[in-house]
Amino acid sequence: MSDKVDLSVTVGRIRMKNPIATASGCSGYGEELAAFFDPSILGAIVTKSITLAPCEGHPPPRLAETRAGMLNAIGLANVGLEAFLNEKLPALAQYDVPVIVSVAGSTQEEYVEAARALDAATDVAGIELNVSCPNVEKGGMEFGVDARLLAGLVEAARQEVSRATLIVKLSPNVTDIASMARAAVDAGADALSLINTLRGLAVDPWTGRPVLTNVTGGLSGPAIKPVALYMVRRVWEEVAGPRGVAIMGLGGIQFVEDVLEFLRAGATCVAVGTANFINPETGRELVEGLGEALRKLGCRSPRDLVGALEAGGKT
Amino acid sequence: MKADAATGNVNVLPARRLKLPVLDRRHAGREFVWLTLEAPADWRSLPGQFVNVLCMPDEHAPAATDGRVLDGESVWPRTEGLELAQPGPIVRRPYSISRIRREGDRVRLILLVQRRGAGSRFLQEQPVGAALDVVGPLGTYFTPPTDERLCVLVSGGCGLAPILGLADRLAALGKPCLSFFGCPTAAAMPVTFRTPPAATRDRPEATEAIEEFAAAGIPTVLATDDGSAGFGGPVTAALETWLGEGWNGRPPALYGCGPEPMLKALAKLAEAHDLPCQVSLERYMGCGVGVCLSCVAKRRDPASNKGWTYFLTCRDGPVVDAREMIWDET
Repeated sequence: MSDKVDLSVTVGRIRMKNPIATASGCSGYGEELAAFFDPSILGAIVTKSITLAPCEGHPPPRLAETRAGMLNAIGLANVGLEAFLNEKLPALAQYDVPVIVSVAGSTQEEYVEAARALDAATDVAGIELNVSCPNVEKGGMEFGVDARLLAGLVEAARQEVSRATLIVKLSPNVTDIASMARAAVDAGADALSLINTLRGLAVDPWTGRPVLTNVTGGLSGPAIKPVALYMVRRVWEEVAGPRGVAIMGLGGIQFVEDVLEFLRAGATCVAVGTANFINPETGRELVEGLGEALRKLGCRSPRDLVGALEAGGKT
Repeated sequence: MKADAATGNVNVLPARRLKLPVLDRRHAGREFVWLTLEAPADWRSLPGQFVNVLCMPDEHAPAATDGRVLDGESVWPRTEGLELAQPGPIVRRPYSISRIRREGDRVRLILLVQRRGAGSRFLQEQPVGAALDVVGPLGTYFTPPTDERLCVLVSGGCGLAPILGLADRLAALGKPCLSFFGCPTAAAMPVTFRTPPAATRDRPEATEAIEEFAAAGIPTVLATDDGSAGFGGPVTAALETWLGEGWNGRPPALYGCGPEPMLKALAKLAEAHDLPCQVSLERYMGCGVGVCLSCVAKRRDPASNKGWTYFLTCRDGPVVDAREMIWDET
């Protein structure tokens, strides 16, 4: 018996050579991390969220460090759909890695128009609907916290996306994430990614002012890992597992052990976010370390571990 | 290495992630520590560039005990339960590269660490022999003048760090320099005094009192907010007085690094006297490599319909043309 580990996984129609992706907003448009390792070794790259028109984003400060995490309120700063298609996508396409484009908008029409254009671009393997950005006034999270709005948006996008894999990025800022997952899958989502950031507030105790100009921001980093694991587990049990839909797990992933935990909770692949800031080589280290970790567990594929959580904790 | 004949600029290597050992740490003034790091022989960076330093212990790195390195795999059975990863700050801290010393194949980078919070405290406490996880060199750098005009170097507090690196470079290029350096009080200055600094009240007086500049042949005008050494008042007020007295020959070029109000005042003086002025900015940074988009600052942009655009301090800075800056936001 060969003890070779096959790291490849499938998410929707995307064949990933391993289950490690970079998360939206945490790897720019791919090229920025190329100084540290070849992006082609990754399973996938998820871009910064793209909107139809270019967006400057919020006034600074946009970032506040917290204990074991950070709050950000970038405000979806991005180059806009046209510049992305003309400048950023060709640069990304030179790497041998599936490109998943994150899309945001303030109306359903904006999401759908961007999704249509991206589905027509053959270098785009997947489209991730960012319905969970906590930092913009209109759109964004509004779709991610209302199952009816979400279903309408995903259904409309589904009409226009026939080639690319359609992924919906879920918000943790809801009472029942499983019902949102169900709405997305029922409306035609090929895969789910979760979680986006948790809305939070940082206060300067001496001036009495919020640290962020936007007042609130999205919490990310190791601080949110237990929340993310719980939500991945719940969505896997209630929706993704029974329906055979892949989950991309996110939230505080930095070490190989974190990847194993997310696979066990029910994720088919993971995306690295804030850890890219702590260590820009995190993606490479996870890709290089995962095979050995799986071998230790007697697994020949990360798929062997997906959902493999024992019945109860040790008492 | 390709050098630009006019400016003496050299091409710099792209950023890398490196583990740099601490060779020396030295307390200076109140609240400051100078850290000397050993860099690889092929290190190239220019004054004004920075490194982004991880300020947490690396729990996945092998532990070193009495010089013996223990590898990561324990011989004991794995224990269950909680062993928390991730102590300390999450995001890296950007530090200007101060002086660079080259002796044969050995390259040493010097950083100036001021005590501010958890990150700087971690760095200040790193013992000789510890290895710092560093990403760099990053960002833009100071450009020396192409002619023989006077370079006026203005620094405040830990803004001294890149300015000292710049002073070394300008001295090596044979450019005439004058330094202005300010701190709240004499005891806070992270410098070596050749002679005890005298209080000159409202007169900006250039002396050889500061070893770090004097060694490069550069006189310094000291300023303290409390008047305990040199000019009594902000360093930019000392500069304003000096500029008011006029200069000989070509108008000087201004270079600055320090707290934001100081840089604002410096930019205003540059505007009033129509002088070129490059400053190094400080911003909160999430990543330092142009990904997280959190370190934005505003600059004039006639091509934009708003008249300005955001730029990334980590990638398009930290060294920028002070007169292009819009300072209304921090």
